[in-house]
Amino acid sequence: MWRLLPFAVLIVFTAPILIVLSSLLGDYSENWIHLYEYVLSDYLTTSMLLVLGVSFLVTILGTATAWIVSNYNFIGKNTFEWALILPLSIPPYILAYTFTGLFDPFGDANNLIRTLFNLQENSVFFPNVRNIYGAIIVFSFTLYPYVYLVSRTSFINQSTAMKDAGRILGLNEFQVFYKLALPLIRPAAIGGLMLVIMETLSDFGAVDHFAIQTFTTGIFRTWYGLYDFQTAMQLASLLLLTVGIFYIVERRSRGGKIYTSSNSTFSPIPEKRLTGWKALIAFIICFVPIFIGFILPIIELCIWTFEVNLEFFNYKFLINSMNTFALSITAGVICAALALLINFSIRFKPSFLIKKFSTLLSIGYAVPGLILAVGMVQLLVYLDSLVLSKFNLILTGSLFGLLLAYIIKTFALANSSIESAYERISHSLDDSSKLLGSTSWNMLSRVHIPLLKTGILTSVLLVMSDVVKELPATLILRPFNFETLAVSTYIYASEERMLQAAAPAVVIVLVGLIPIIFLSKMIRSSRPAGTDE
Amino acid sequence: MSNFILEIKGISHSYNEDDLSLDNIDLGILSGEKVAILGPSGCGKSTLLRLIAGLEKPKEGLIKINGLEVSNKDFLTPPEKRNVGLVVQEKALFPHLKVKENISFGIRKKSEKDTIVSDLLDLFKITSLENKYPHEISGGEQQRVALARSLAPNPEVLMLDEPFSALDKDLKETLYKEVSEVFLERGSTILLVTHDSNEAEIMTNKQIRMEHGQFL
Repeated sequence: MWRLLPFAVLIVFTAPILIVLSSLLGDYSENWIHLYEYVLSDYLTTSMLLVLGVSFLVTILGTATAWIVSNYNFIGKNTFEWALILPLSIPPYILAYTFTGLFDPFGDANNLIRTLFNLQENSVFFPNVRNIYGAIIVFSFTLYPYVYLVSRTSFINQSTAMKDAGRILGLNEFQVFYKLALPLIRPAAIGGLMLVIMETLSDFGAVDHFAIQTFTTGIFRTWYGLYDFQTAMQLASLLLLTVGIFYIVERRSRGGKIYTSSNSTFSPIPEKRLTGWKALIAFIICFVPIFIGFILPIIELCIWTFEVNLEFFNYKFLINSMNTFALSITAGVICAALALLINFSIRFKPSFLIKKFSTLLSIGYAVPGLILAVGMVQLLVYLDSLVLSKFNLILTGSLFGLLLAYIIKTFALANSSIESAYERISHSLDDSSKLLGSTSWNMLSRVHIPLLKTGILTSVLLVMSDVVKELPATLILRPFNFETLAVSTYIYASEERMLQAAAPAVVIVLVGLIPIIFLSKMIRSSRPAGTDE
Repeated sequence: MSNFILEIKGISHSYNEDDLSLDNIDLGILSGEKVAILGPSGCGKSTLLRLIAGLEKPKEGLIKINGLEVSNKDFLTPPEKRNVGLVVQEKALFPHLKVKENISFGIRKKSEKDTIVSDLLDLFKITSLENKYPHEISGGEQQRVALARSLAPNPEVLMLDEPFSALDKDLKETLYKEVSEVFLERGSTILLVTHDSNEAEIMTNKQIRMEHGQFL
């Protein structure tokens, strides 16, 4: 049974993805002519420009901030070290909503400037953000922490002696950064960048709000505008294949041995103390991304929430919160249980094949929620028509599909947490347990689970925080009239009722802070102690 | 005016207020001279090299290279403008660059790069490794590359910080002889710090003992 479990789960997890891909082998409708002639080139160019712009900006933001906090000491540096990841708690669509609320012609930022400088009512200070440039800024300032996190880890582990050698051989401090340190972290930074690209290509909420034509909005329009599900699936396949390329590059970038330092000795020295204008510049470079990506949207959301007093705290808000909580905790518990059983099965009956296959179970994390939802709809239709209708049971439009999509999408988060917790349990404990007569279940329940408690709890929380944010899959798969916080935020925002959108958005951000707190703790304990001669 | 290529006067330095890493050090090295500083771990010899290289600013005293003052407690010429070389035990080769790219890294004049690299590859008997990456060659070969890289910009003073301590005994003996011949041939000014008196005697013609941040 233990050997079969990972395979069984893999079949369920990959079914919706394979269904989407299989659409490429099916018939191509006449709508393709319309797409090809009028919109496909727009989808392609906009998506490409978006990816290029975001990649450029997150690389600069992520690596520059990581370099500064890893190498210099200045006022606020210890806070910046963990605070630079705070924007990860804000989903791009929520930053997009606050951006338009702030920078639209009659947004709060423009109103403030008009009041402060006593300007005419039709004067506009900030440029229009409802375009691709606005989208690039929104994605960059919420997603740069992916590059920051990996760059910082790489920078603090770089050999000081190597950087010293660069200085002695003629490089100034800035040249050491871009000629030595940056090329050396390239594989890691590319890994982070690929995650950013995958997230950018997967997004629906922000691009929809800015009315930008990308692949995701195109899939929605083809499905709900042209009512052509087959063509929507084929578009989704193309997007999936593109994301797949970035996924493969990300996995490969983890094994870039050529750039690994050949030096076995790590010799950290005290960071360079910055004072005066240099300290001010370092402060500004680190503060701006946090301000735009976290502080500004939080302030705007709080202002909106207080503007409606406690009116948001109504029956609908409570129901939506409960729906969100119930779904997220169910997905969290199921993911943690599955991850626990699969890791146990790998440990209990070690097999190269099972281990290899089990890594494929994390593939759902790379699949955009929209594509997963498209595949899930088709899977549920198959299941309903083949088996379930005979038993008077319809899965399409039920919570089952939504929950399954969440589980597939977030299993990787639960798995990574439990896998790393399992690595800390010595195999000699298993041997002792076996010698003392334990069966497999006995060992799992009496030895492993008590030791894995923290890892299990972490995995449930990580899954919950991701499920709370998920928008496109929820929009498509939710039962009729069923709303979560993400859905109600989207609906309010699409009706331009920003004040009402604020309260659910604040809750989403607060829940999104859970993994950030875990990460911050890791960051604060990750710097190796310095040694002096 | 003195003829010292490297002159140190009254240098003191500390990483924390309670403990002096270097205490009032004076030293003068003539051009072409080969000097070793011998002492146990933690006596401050590596700190002295870091100060000469410009990687740290001294708390007291001054350092002159070729007659020019490069460091005092208020002033520091950055490392890239001092024209000194430093080879450390961990070699600090750039892992993303090939052997020949590592060696040519510090050479300013493009027109001279190929000749200098080719000469040094030949001198250190590593021509066959020129297109390899640091992780593809042995520890002894890596140390030859590190030495060649430091000599390539033709530094006024080449400082060696326990350069051979990670190598096995036989390899050390071979390298002492070979490297000493290269230094002699090029007339390099050498400042070696080590705890190995045998290494100091083979590679230099003047040895100074150091303990608790002071010369004995």
